[in-house]
Amino acid sequence: MKRLSQTAMRRLISIGMLLVLVALFTILAGFGQGKFFSSANLIEVVRDASVPAIIGVGVTFVIITSGIDLSTGSAMALVGMTMANIYEYTLLPFKVMVLIGILVGLACGLFNGIVIAKLHVPEFIGTLATMSIYRALTYIIAIKDANGVIKSQPMTHSQYVWLGTGVGKFYYVIMAMIVIVLIGQIVLKYTRYGTNLYSVGASRKAATLSGINVEMTQLIAYVITGFTVAVGAVFTTARLQSATTAIGTDFEFNPIAAAVVGGVALSGGSGDVIGTTIGALFMATLENGVRKLDMNTSYQYVIKGIIIIAVVIFDATYKARMDKKAKEQGAKEGLE
Amino acid sequence: MKEFNWSKYSKPLILVAFVVILSILRPKAFLSLNNFSNVLWSVSVIGIMVCGTIFVFLIGGIDLSIATLCAFTAVVVVEITHLLGDTPVAVCVGVVAALAVGALAGAVHGLIITTFHIPAFLVTFATQSIFLGLAMVLTNNKIVSCTVPAFTAIGAMKILGFPLPVYFMLVMAVISWFILRKTVYGRYVYAVGGNSMASAISGIHVKGVSIGCYVLSGLTTALGGIVLASMTQQASSSTGSGYTNDVITAGVIGGVSLLGGEGTVPGAIFGAVLMGLLNNGLNLMSVPSTHAGLVKGLVIIVAVAFDAMQHADQSKKKARKVKKRGESV
Repeated sequence: MKRLSQTAMRRLISIGMLLVLVALFTILAGFGQGKFFSSANLIEVVRDASVPAIIGVGVTFVIITSGIDLSTGSAMALVGMTMANIYEYTLLPFKVMVLIGILVGLACGLFNGIVIAKLHVPEFIGTLATMSIYRALTYIIAIKDANGVIKSQPMTHSQYVWLGTGVGKFYYVIMAMIVIVLIGQIVLKYTRYGTNLYSVGASRKAATLSGINVEMTQLIAYVITGFTVAVGAVFTTARLQSATTAIGTDFEFNPIAAAVVGGVALSGGSGDVIGTTIGALFMATLENGVRKLDMNTSYQYVIKGIIIIAVVIFDATYKARMDKKAKEQGAKEGLE
Repeated sequence: MKEFNWSKYSKPLILVAFVVILSILRPKAFLSLNNFSNVLWSVSVIGIMVCGTIFVFLIGGIDLSIATLCAFTAVVVVEITHLLGDTPVAVCVGVVAALAVGALAGAVHGLIITTFHIPAFLVTFATQSIFLGLAMVLTNNKIVSCTVPAFTAIGAMKILGFPLPVYFMLVMAVISWFILRKTVYGRYVYAVGGNSMASAISGIHVKGVSIGCYVLSGLTTALGGIVLASMTQQASSSTGSGYTNDVITAGVIGGVSLLGGEGTVPGAIFGAVLMGLLNNGLNLMSVPSTHAGLVKGLVIIVAVAFDAMQHADQSKKKARKVKKRGESV
């Protein structure tokens, strides 16, 4: 019998975990109209997973270089608020507004990249700092009412509202996710830049010695994350039809958790975009399913935490077993 | 000629510069005795917590659950005090219970992380959600106030003009400095952080050492939670929110490496003082808390980048020296 490769097994495991979770919530939270397992709700889950999956593409690139980006939630808020300002105070057309939003996202990513790749600030602390910087900037440019109180800015541009809908139930955000995920996967697997990302993550020293520009590779990964953040922000504000200062609060861990559930190692050098997307679906299913249990929010937090720990423990035990097996196999072949 | 060693003095210099700037900008408000004790108050909670979490940083781990564990333990002490009739004895029982909860939480972190070799980042991310949920369950998602004199004394009593939490911070700092510098366990912590594989091979019980670090972190987080609840005379699920970032930042500004193996207690306390001063200064300049993040973030980047650059400089110099020596031989 032909053996499945390790990566293929890993993919099957994450899909399996997703299916188990869906089955679990189908039993606990029921199926039928208005329950967990109904076509309307399942599409809702995919729609919820789309923004974390889009941003997950950039975050996966960053994590593969053994970095991390904690600023995605705040950068999203900044992009949204910038567009809200343009909507409120200028007569610029819709397309220009979105374009400027994307540019702001790219600028956020570029700043992250400079802080980490050029100033050599450790990734965790550097993006923690930019997280509070972008959030503060969002508050500074927030639109205030006559009394100077920050208000949520409704954005009801007809084209903007259109962006939040889709062809029937096939939302545009889901289409955007599919396109961006596919491009991300192709870049990662079939371009020079993608290979460089893996080498930088596996060993910075080896990558430098083999002539890869490590700093530039890292910097570009952060810029790409900035782009995906901006796309995520455009769709989020289009769905809410408004921009608030609270957009993306506590969001930053979502794409990271999605990546890890999908098999991207935080130590860098392994994983891919499809895995992260499955992880994002997993996290969205978890959020939605726990909500559908009709329980007090406080218990929802506890259950969410426990399920994440259970999944991570399962994943780690499985990985340890596979490593052991691979070693034994290697030893056997060596003997022969 | 002996070169002036900037890296040795850069930190005290930053602190002095900060104090001077604030004294010039807000002389009356900043230089008052009242404000001085305010600064000490806010410094002491971060300081108490960083004395324990530094152990986790030193072994290359991280704790994202600081804020919600702080809330959970604050809720535990207040609820138990109410449950047992608001007597001084009840306060004592509550404090012990909260510390036990903190230690237990730390032990669970350590056990899961070391047994299954899972990144601390993920485990504490998950438990953060669990502690938040538990704090909400215990309080019914309300703010619970507690004005029992024996309890409020923890945060408000003054000895020789200084509030009690300052003494807590100093005692914790001395204890963890002693453990790290003068005991075998402390040496092991640095060894595990430097290279856990090598330490395991040289006979160090890496698992035990690591679990100990997480327990210590849980204990100081609980103590911070108790002090914070006592100072504010209340506890809720949002007690201590934002402290995770403040504590990690204090450590990193104080020269603690999040990769492990590097950092000292005096450095971390320095970081806590700087964070406290920064919070206080922004407050005095009447910068709204929502905008303060801009300044805080920039200060962090500048401080850490400055440190990183000096590190790079020094290692370059060292390499040059070694090369020279090699040539002369």
